[in-house]
Amino acid sequence: MSNATQFLTLVVTAMVPFILASQGTMLGGRAGVFNVSQEGVMALGASVAFLVSLKSGSTLVGLVVALLAGAVFGLVLGAATTNLRLDQFVVGLALFFAATGLATLLYKVVIGVATQPPLVPTLPQWRIPGLASIPVVGPAVFDQNGLVYFALLLSAALYWLLYHTSLGMRLRAVGENPKCADSLGVSITSTRIVTSVIGSGLIALGGAYIPLVYTGTYTDGMVAGRGWLAIALTFFGAWRPQFILPGAAFFAAMEVLALRVQVQGIDIPHQFIGMLPYVATLLIIIVAARWARAPAFLGRNYDRESRTAL
Amino acid sequence: MTEMRPTTPAPLPQRAPEPALLRMHGMRKSFGTVVALDGVDFEVAPRQVHGLLGGNGAGKTTLMNVLYGLYRPDSGAVEIDGQQVHIRSPRDAIRHGVGMVHQSFLQVDTYTVTENIVLGTRLPSFPVLSLHDAHQRVREMSERFGLDVDPGVRVEDLSVGLRQRVEILKALYRGARLLVLDEPTTNLTPHEVDALFGSLRAIVEEGMSVVFITHKIRETLAVCDRLTVMRDGRLVTVVDRDAVDARRLAGLMVGELSEAGEEIRDDVAAVIGREGVEEADALTPSSATTTPRMVAQGVCADNDLGVEAVHGVSLTVHRGEILGVAGVAGNGQGELVEVLSGIRTARSGSIELDGSPMAGQPTARWLAAGVAYVPEDRTRDGILPTSSIAENIVLGAHRSPRFRRRGFIDSGAVRRTAATAMSAYSIKASSVNSPAGELSGGNIQRVILARVFGHDPNLLVLHNPTRGLDIRSTQFVYERVREAAAADAAVLLVSEDLDELMHLADRVVAVYSGRIVGEQSRGAYNPYEIGRLMTGVRGEV
Amino acid sequence: MTSAALAQLNRPAVRRSATSALSYIIAVLAAFLVTGLIILWLGQDPVTAFRSILTTSFRTSFGFVETLHKWVPISLLALGFTIPLLSGKFNIGGEGQLLVGACAAAAVGITAQGLPAVILLPAILIAGTAAGAVWAGIAAWLLVRFGVNEILTTVLLNFASFGIVDYIASEVWSDPAAGHPTTIPIADAGLLPTFGAPPVHAGVIIALVVALVAMLIVRRGTAGYELRAVGANPRAARVHGVRIAGVAAAALVVGGALGGLAGAIEVTGVYGKLIEGLQTNYLLLGIIVGLIARGNVVALPFVAFGIAVLEVGASAMQRTADVPNEMVLITEALILIFILASTVVQPRVGRRSR
Repeated sequence: MSNATQFLTLVVTAMVPFILASQGTMLGGRAGVFNVSQEGVMALGASVAFLVSLKSGSTLVGLVVALLAGAVFGLVLGAATTNLRLDQFVVGLALFFAATGLATLLYKVVIGVATQPPLVPTLPQWRIPGLASIPVVGPAVFDQNGLVYFALLLSAALYWLLYHTSLGMRLRAVGENPKCADSLGVSITSTRIVTSVIGSGLIALGGAYIPLVYTGTYTDGMVAGRGWLAIALTFFGAWRPQFILPGAAFFAAMEVLALRVQVQGIDIPHQFIGMLPYVATLLIIIVAARWARAPAFLGRNYDRESRTAL
Repeated sequence: MTEMRPTTPAPLPQRAPEPALLRMHGMRKSFGTVVALDGVDFEVAPRQVHGLLGGNGAGKTTLMNVLYGLYRPDSGAVEIDGQQVHIRSPRDAIRHGVGMVHQSFLQVDTYTVTENIVLGTRLPSFPVLSLHDAHQRVREMSERFGLDVDPGVRVEDLSVGLRQRVEILKALYRGARLLVLDEPTTNLTPHEVDALFGSLRAIVEEGMSVVFITHKIRETLAVCDRLTVMRDGRLVTVVDRDAVDARRLAGLMVGELSEAGEEIRDDVAAVIGREGVEEADALTPSSATTTPRMVAQGVCADNDLGVEAVHGVSLTVHRGEILGVAGVAGNGQGELVEVLSGIRTARSGSIELDGSPMAGQPTARWLAAGVAYVPEDRTRDGILPTSSIAENIVLGAHRSPRFRRRGFIDSGAVRRTAATAMSAYSIKASSVNSPAGELSGGNIQRVILARVFGHDPNLLVLHNPTRGLDIRSTQFVYERVREAAAADAAVLLVSEDLDELMHLADRVVAVYSGRIVGEQSRGAYNPYEIGRLMTGVRGEV
Repeated sequence: MTSAALAQLNRPAVRRSATSALSYIIAVLAAFLVTGLIILWLGQDPVTAFRSILTTSFRTSFGFVETLHKWVPISLLALGFTIPLLSGKFNIGGEGQLLVGACAAAAVGITAQGLPAVILLPAILIAGTAAGAVWAGIAAWLLVRFGVNEILTTVLLNFASFGIVDYIASEVWSDPAAGHPTTIPIADAGLLPTFGAPPVHAGVIIALVVALVAMLIVRRGTAGYELRAVGANPRAARVHGVRIAGVAAAALVVGGALGGLAGAIEVTGVYGKLIEGLQTNYLLLGIIVGLIARGNVVALPFVAFGIAVLEVGASAMQRTADVPNEMVLITEALILIFILASTVVQPRVGRRSR
């Protein structure tokens, strides 16, 4: 395998948690709910996916249950910020704590303290005949695990949903101008709850990917900031599914570079290379703050009778 | 003359043969302690352009927001086509054939015209978004009603006039039979106004009805068939277009009736709040001097959207003088007030205070120079809602030596000042530690006044200082303002209330569309003339 | 958005004293109730678990000292979160600020061998504080200059700080015998004095003084007044001459300085060196304390103490009742959510809409 293909394969593999978490963040955000619980919900997704896969013997069941666990957190976020109108950041942070604690708790309850951590089989590669033979790109993109295909198709589907369906148009309107959407009979509350539920489910799935593809087991801290990076990525991707995809490639490339350069022993302390994704992200969000327009009502709760809503 | 008393819906002599399209009865709505609608009846016949006329705060928009399901009324009933309906959300309103064009357009800026129009409707292609048919329909409708709009353009690229047409199309697309337009001409050019009126007539001819919310008399007369006048959340009168003239409407609307009021009954006068406000006392010796305190020359300023809203205003306020600025909301006086109190930076022009240039200085410098500001929106701009009364009273003076000791707020001095102020200004609260946000509107205004006068102002700028206040608080504000002038402060009083201006001011200028359009001095006040100037009715009638 | 957060966090003082004490108690009881149910469901004994959680700090003097030592970074990070919050800004970067503070403290403590304690110890503490301030200053600068969301930047700076710790602890002044990234010890003169037995380090006193000064400045200081004004109503603050961007930036920098101080105290008081991972989960705990205290700097040290008690009790619970100590994190999140919910449910009666 050529160096380029190898690098590309690693990048595509590393993209998936970013894509899933960021598209989930984007989906909730386009309806106006700014989720900040990603880091915790991803850890929960990782823990649940690993444990359920282990106990049920099926990684698919593990993935589904992880998605549902995330969805429950999304439901709390959606309901608390619409029906109760609690502050989105505070609720998001509380959920981040709860999910972080729950992830470790579940692991300890089910596994206990084991010297030799149990392993689950990682997701199998599904080679797509024909396409996988394309030089350089083929093996990197079309000889991958199922979640890679899922993440790519999901991005396309979300793009189609947002820009080519009536549903998507309503959804975007809720985040841009809820008063307008409300005045046209679109339900702000249910739109926000549904997108939060699905969004958090996707975020948890992004977390589930990490044990089921990389390690085969769960360890605390394995999400390693990807949840927070996903928020930055969503800003950088201008809250559009089609820009999140290349953005995720960039973030994944940073991650892979940081690892590979460490391995190859270039004459920079590897700790500084390890900082690369975060420092690059800091620089990038300066750019993003300039050009990327976030949904106008992002992070703001909607109160129909408020006279200062506009 | 068909005149209706507000509380007894007796049958009208010229009752239209058809049943009313819309009937609202006894509508009440309050926001906290502010009563926005106080038992209003409203009726619209089919095929009619019905004007809903009144000044700011009259409750016109609130009434229509209730009809559109945006506000839930405290009580009252709504009938459409004689059937009682329950409108709990805009969705219900749309289903009952009500469409509304809001003053601030409810549009998604990044969407095209067609996307904005079809938003929330179920397209035949559902769930796929296929806008081809919708494009066609929008194009056809816009031709039918003389609303020339390109369906494929993003609305943020459209002018205000065109965006308004999008709003109208939006309502019509949903099959509205009753179209409510809230102050639709505010930002339109005269040509666009004419075009709009043409479209409204076309709409009525197709069998629909229009409610036209406005404060502009000339336009009301130009397009309406029938008129409802509101003031202070109450119905004043309902008249046919042919039975009324501009003079009379101006009187009804601004509540100044001495010239045209011979036919107005006492109960109506009471409803619109004439009682309780004393006549201006022409004998009160004015303390105005000829020493200019604040001189503004050719001030231009932008609004929050970056559009110039004040066009070259020049004003001089002398020591001890109360200068009134009369104008209907949205004519640039909000921006002017903020510029003259140092909160908004002027785009051009000079402002001097006692001879020293102030334009471009930071707000804190203005405060230190003795400029005091009583904002129009008391809760939004005037107080820290979760902080105590005492802390609110020192806001702005918290860095002055009176309240500051070695980097700390001298809480003893603050508390003493606050306690004195609470009794001097009759602020009703349990203690100086009560949070300001829990006070009533009148008490909040007293807190602001206590703060403002605690700073010993050289220039006092007030914007609608008595709006929403009861008579006692209003009187209280008047007394304090007079005292300030007597203490040699220059006072700039911006108000929509003509009674108030004539009552207090030594001189009144009228603003319209960001310009000063006239001036009168005490003793020569002609309220009707000022009313005409501020509503843009020039020399006609 | 953030002023809404404050409206929820910072309820008027009068109501706070009366009904809010009750709602705090109810929220805590409800959180423990739910926790108890979860423990039962796990097949363990909630009574044993709760006894461990609540009494470990007070049963032995060791437990109490451990609680005090945990209280120091928790209360400092909680203040570092709360001060920016009062101006409406979220500082989620306490971890990074603590770590760069610890790095700076270790650097000074290791390189300045031979200096007397009266010079070295203050130098170490000041270096840590300054490093934290600079670290948060990056986020403040990005906020004011480019309008970049401070939540994101402060969090990313946390992750960036890990590399610095690792570099210092495993490359620059590495202690090869440690087997885990750790530096060599700092000069003895740089260690915080201790008192009592078992020894309590003087960082407890520093943190107490800081808490008192913060109370004084926030409640009585001109700077604190402007800070609260910006948080309570930025428009009104601006109208009355307060430079709101400057206040918010300064608040973030001060918050960072407190985080840096916490890091310096960990190095000079607890470990005597820089150890990777010394920050444990103090960031989360600080934020939880800050959110539970709802911007009330007087309540904050007490809430921080309560959380320190829970944390010390948590590890004991894992031993005695076989319930994982993360259970406590869930309890804390539940307390927070229940308190938040009570602020909405309770004023619904007679709420004034605007």
